[in-house]
Amino acid sequence: MKRTFRNILLTLCAVAMMAGLSWAETLKVGVQAPITGSYANEGQGIENAVRLLAAQINADGGVMGKQIEVIPCDDQGTAMAAAICAKELVNKGVSMVIGSYTSTAAEAAQKTYFDAKVLQTSDGTADGLTEKGYWTFLRNSFPNSAEAVFAANYMVNVKAYKNIAVISDFSSYATGLAESTVAEIKKAGGNVITYAKIKADSQNFTPVLTNIKSKNPDAIFFAGYYSDGGQLRAQQVALGIKADFIGGDANDNPDFAKLAGSAAKGAFIINVPSPELLPYDVAKDFLKNYEATYGMLPPSIWTLMNADGMRAIVHGMEQTKSFDTKKVADYLMSMEKPLPGITGPLQFAKDGNRIGSSYMTFEIQGDNSYKVVHAQ
Amino acid sequence: MDIFLQQLANGLTIGSIYALVALGYTMVYGVMKLINFAHGDMVAASAFVGLTIYTQVLGQSTSLIAVVIIFLLSAVAMACVGVLLERLAYRPLRQAPRLSAVVSALGASLMIQNGIMLIWGPQMRIFPELIPQIYWDLGGVVVSLIQVIILALSLILMVALYLFVEKTRMGAAIRASAIDQDASRLMGINVDKVIALIFIIGSSLGAVAGLFIGLYYRGITFNMGWQYGLYAFVAAILGGIGNIPGAMFGGMLLGLFQAFIAGYVSSTWADAFTFILLILILIVRPTGLLGERVAEKV
Repeated sequence: MKRTFRNILLTLCAVAMMAGLSWAETLKVGVQAPITGSYANEGQGIENAVRLLAAQINADGGVMGKQIEVIPCDDQGTAMAAAICAKELVNKGVSMVIGSYTSTAAEAAQKTYFDAKVLQTSDGTADGLTEKGYWTFLRNSFPNSAEAVFAANYMVNVKAYKNIAVISDFSSYATGLAESTVAEIKKAGGNVITYAKIKADSQNFTPVLTNIKSKNPDAIFFAGYYSDGGQLRAQQVALGIKADFIGGDANDNPDFAKLAGSAAKGAFIINVPSPELLPYDVAKDFLKNYEATYGMLPPSIWTLMNADGMRAIVHGMEQTKSFDTKKVADYLMSMEKPLPGITGPLQFAKDGNRIGSSYMTFEIQGDNSYKVVHAQ
Repeated sequence: MDIFLQQLANGLTIGSIYALVALGYTMVYGVMKLINFAHGDMVAASAFVGLTIYTQVLGQSTSLIAVVIIFLLSAVAMACVGVLLERLAYRPLRQAPRLSAVVSALGASLMIQNGIMLIWGPQMRIFPELIPQIYWDLGGVVVSLIQVIILALSLILMVALYLFVEKTRMGAAIRASAIDQDASRLMGINVDKVIALIFIIGSSLGAVAGLFIGLYYRGITFNMGWQYGLYAFVAAILGGIGNIPGAMFGGMLLGLFQAFIAGYVSSTWADAFTFILLILILIVRPTGLLGERVAEKV
């Protein structure tokens, strides 16, 4: 009797150990992205990209023998849902989180990941994201301040607009970009006639635009997301405002032109090169695989930026031969030679910012395709 | 002056959409004393139904007849959903305490919202440009064809509804049921039929509003019904809930109010002022601007 009891105990122990081992054998990768809501197609793009990379890495034997397990969480692009996601992903034991798409959601989750020593990589461009001293955060895109310099130079010096109206929504990203752009325009000697704010998703922007119309701007710079940008452009044209429309990077999504309809033609969008313009072999391979797997191209460059973030962290783990996130972060933030990325050379500064940026201005053509009209 | 007139035109356009939605709330409340929270989501659903009719049934034809067919089919489809909703979610609870019916309405709202998400997906769907982008510049005030259509069609529908309720026998039955359901039954009015009828009318008007939103703003999301529902609900209370001309008036008033606040004060504050207005009205005239002071029935 005693012996059977001992045997049972031993078996239980063995089972528990095996369970523990197989549990430890996967490398858990969280995806925090807006999978539903207004930015859903961006969120789904990020999840798709992470799953694709994970499948490729797993097929090659995983990360130092560990298979990647992808755990998605929908933050709807909001701070509230993001905070819940962060706790959930940490509880599930992820060692890195890819996302989120919006700066607001990335910011709301940052502290939780920092406290849990979980690496986070986001395309959020708000400058504030890297100003908090969290070593866990790696920005896989370029900060607003860099874009603001390019945008201001383009509007004031290249296009020689005299009067510029700036519009943003209330998110961290949009206000950050709008405020830096206003400052840069002034620095470049341009004139900001008004800085107006809209509520994201509210659809009816004509009251704000009507006010702007009375000030006769030469250009309207919109810092905000494509789901509002497309409608804003359509309503601008409908109100007969002749000004040029210049959208910040988050307007770079095929839905912008669809929402604006016939008004899309002639709108300008400023962003880093779009996926099909990337000259790198890594990029061409990734796009080919993405299209073969999902039957469509990624919604925008942000999908690829986040994929690069994940590739960087995996690269860091392999180089340091460690799953210790602190070691990986230290390595990534002091790499001497950049890692060839999908979106260009990948290298990070000490504060987690990505180094080196190249912006372009696209003009939307009649068939909704982009034409590069100015490059850095 | 130009800005004023332009804001007026903007306000009337959005106001007539609010008014159409508010009619659905107010008619149901008038007869059943129930706030049909699912109404806003029905409006959203109609935009998605219209989009599907366009892509699947009409093969993306953009003629005027196609637009008319989309309106008719969506209105019929939503009227069916409305009747079904009343049958399944509200009729079994008609004798239950009012709170049960309100909870049922909230449940129906979530069910429709999530139903839209499951059928059409969580991402924003984009309406085609069915109405050509034609604009007229009337001395500084720009009015578009779609704005004219929204305003004209809404006014026609509202006048027709008003005449129907005031001048026909069915209309008299609706008014009688709103005053006293038991007495109406004793007078030979089939109250169940009346309730089905108001759900048909309310849902079809909501369907038209949903299509207007799709045609005017073009981007539709599964959860947009909540926002329009909330504004229309406020509009219905402003005009006096249960009062049909009140809902029309309240909708237009709210549209204009929001346009002027956003235009002259700040768009940041448009929502805050909307609800401040609501609170003020509830304090000063609890029955709404056009509502009559009626004693609570026991």
